[in-house]
Amino acid sequence: MPLVNAKGEEIADAGVAGLRLTPDAKIEDIATQLPGAALIEIEFPKFRDGRGFTLARTLRERHGYKGDLRAVGHFIPDQFAALIACGFTSFLTPPEHTPAQFAAALREHRQPGQLLRRSLGRALEG
Amino acid sequence: MSLHVITANRLRDGVSVWFAGEHGWAEHVDAAATYDDTALPGALAAAQPADVAAHVVEVRAVEVTQEDGKLMPVAHREQIRARGPSVRADLPAGPWRDGADKLPPLPSASSTSPHAGIYHYDEYDRDFLRQRAREFGEQVERRRAGELSEDEFKPLRLMNGLYLQLHAYMLRIAIPYGVLSATQLRQLAYVARHYDRGYGHFTTRQNIQFNWLRLEDTPAALAALAEADLHGIQTSGNCIRNVTTDEYAGAAADEVIDPRLYAEILRQWSTDHPEFTYLPRKFKIAITGAPHDRAAVRVHDIGIEVHKNEAGEPVFRIFAGGGLGRTPYVAIKLRDDVPLAELLRYNEAVLRVYNALGRRDNMYKSRIKILIREMKPEAFIQMVEDEYAALPPDYCVLTPELVAAVAARFPVPEFTRQDSGVFAKALAEDADFAAWVERNTHGHRDPGYISAQISLKPIGGIPGDASADEMDAVADLADKYSLGEIRVSHVQNLVLPHVAKDDLPALYQGLVKVGLASANVGLISDIIACPGMDYCALATARSIPVAQRLAERFAGREREIGTLYVNISGCINACGHHHVGHIGLLGVDKNGEEVYQITLGGAADENAAIGSIIGPAVPTANVPDAIEAIVNAYVAQRTPGEKFIDTYRRLGAAPFKEAVNAAR
Repeated sequence: MPLVNAKGEEIADAGVAGLRLTPDAKIEDIATQLPGAALIEIEFPKFRDGRGFTLARTLRERHGYKGDLRAVGHFIPDQFAALIACGFTSFLTPPEHTPAQFAAALREHRQPGQLLRRSLGRALEG
Repeated sequence: MSLHVITANRLRDGVSVWFAGEHGWAEHVDAAATYDDTALPGALAAAQPADVAAHVVEVRAVEVTQEDGKLMPVAHREQIRARGPSVRADLPAGPWRDGADKLPPLPSASSTSPHAGIYHYDEYDRDFLRQRAREFGEQVERRRAGELSEDEFKPLRLMNGLYLQLHAYMLRIAIPYGVLSATQLRQLAYVARHYDRGYGHFTTRQNIQFNWLRLEDTPAALAALAEADLHGIQTSGNCIRNVTTDEYAGAAADEVIDPRLYAEILRQWSTDHPEFTYLPRKFKIAITGAPHDRAAVRVHDIGIEVHKNEAGEPVFRIFAGGGLGRTPYVAIKLRDDVPLAELLRYNEAVLRVYNALGRRDNMYKSRIKILIREMKPEAFIQMVEDEYAALPPDYCVLTPELVAAVAARFPVPEFTRQDSGVFAKALAEDADFAAWVERNTHGHRDPGYISAQISLKPIGGIPGDASADEMDAVADLADKYSLGEIRVSHVQNLVLPHVAKDDLPALYQGLVKVGLASANVGLISDIIACPGMDYCALATARSIPVAQRLAERFAGREREIGTLYVNISGCINACGHHHVGHIGLLGVDKNGEEVYQITLGGAADENAAIGSIIGPAVPTANVPDAIEAIVNAYVAQRTPGEKFIDTYRRLGAAPFKEAVNAAR
């Protein structure tokens, strides 16, 4: 299955051993392994299961995880921007959708993104 | 041996169609081919579309009977699908519009309501909506070309508020915190007139639903609405839905703080939230700024009461885990005093715990109310507090700059009019006007003004329905008398929030002229009712006719009876809020018959309570008698001036139970 980065570009798998988390994982249980980890994979059993979004944010924000964070399993191009916003950096794209569809989903008009962030950005610019 | 026909809905317009064998799909049940039990499986296989570009969806068999050559589905729901809503004999099922019709220009191009207290979009915001309408248009094209399967397409249409119902697609449009400008109401009227069959239905979540959308028209309808800053985004799906509030927000004399600014901030925060768009289940937030809760915050997933601390700053009391549906609960309180800067952070913590731990194995147990009860409230609160404490300190802080930036987009109306005595004079001279004022107005924070509620509950009418002409009439009256602003209330009425007292008699005459002066707000005929089985694919009973019969039964006695909320739901999902009606009615199917469970003692305000069921369900035809028995028992036993709910709280259910049993 093709691996893509956060721009939707196909990339080679560096072959790093990763830590794989199911959506019901308790991060406290793996906290000791986090400092040395270079890759964490979060499983999406089906695209409507949004627990992976919260897991990703928790890893990034609460535990300061800085390594590669990879989405694996079933997710859809419509979720690409949200996955990136939650801290994912690589994506093992599912067989149903091509890397090109993921890249296309990042075209500006397809994913307006959270309204408040847009307002905030404009308020600060203004 | 039973007899069957095969039915489906047509993809492009949602119309119910009937399989006629080699003749394909017919628009009328009488043209359907019939199959016995042995022939049915083969016929179903033949009827199933072979490819995803199919022209029909939801193919299935339904049982029928045959009399004098006429086919009649056995199930009530299928009878209604075959014929059209039982409450609108003028609107038979079937195709009703030729998509090639040329439409007149949009009203938004020619009218404005600059003083309405709505959040003012700029072109940047409007482009967001235009993009979403365009994107949905592309998705519809891909679906019709077969590039998307129905399974893939369904969540995409739901994200735009488009459901498939009995007769057509239903489009739900968000009305953020129930606030509309006259321009927006005219745009809704335009959609009702041209893309629907001339009307819309206002809901308990301050939204509007159109019942007769064709899929192929929907992108154009959404594009039209986008020009008036309206959309269907997040009116469906497992995301944070439209934030609702008090219909008198920013106007009410008893209000401590206007909650609309915070509702707007919550709307922007929750729109396309990257983390919380695939929650275990839908999520509803309500906020109020008055001590008397008109927003039902205690029966929402998150309910917020904004009040002032000793320094006069806004602080937020947060409730969670309220809800209706099949397991009704009143919310628990999480915090009394979340400061403004922390409002979104605290909500993030609540949502984060819910998103991580809410059940995903059973959709009936997936709301936050169930999580809180299964975890125990204390453990849930502790977990939220831990999550909140662990948020990075700079994350999602509501800075004064951001609050000011949003606040700047809300024009504050100037209340310049004085009460010159016109109002008092009319009250003394016109008894009908006085009766309407008594029920349909609410005190305004400025002494020269008053808020007027427009009842959408005429006796015998359909609760919450408004025709395109009525919407236009209300828009005109709003421009003339209410700074161009309209509110939608959660009891399915409209409100003109800022009417100068001097103008109230003229407004009343204007409402009389268009038939919108029913003086029954808060009375027994001001019934909340869901669309029920006349429209809804989930419903198990027809709620609208029950509301109509009840209103007719009590016509003439309503004022004597006084304040009494009757809420009717056509199924266990409780869209008609029956659990929190003083009298609640829940329609259920009992062996093919529609019967109603009666609950008493519910309330949605600051004394929120879930009503208790009194005895076995009653057949639909007996509902007026049963309710009349309850009402008569109340009238006989009330103390002077005592409302129904207070008599119920004083006496308990026993006397009312007895009265209903005697009437059975």
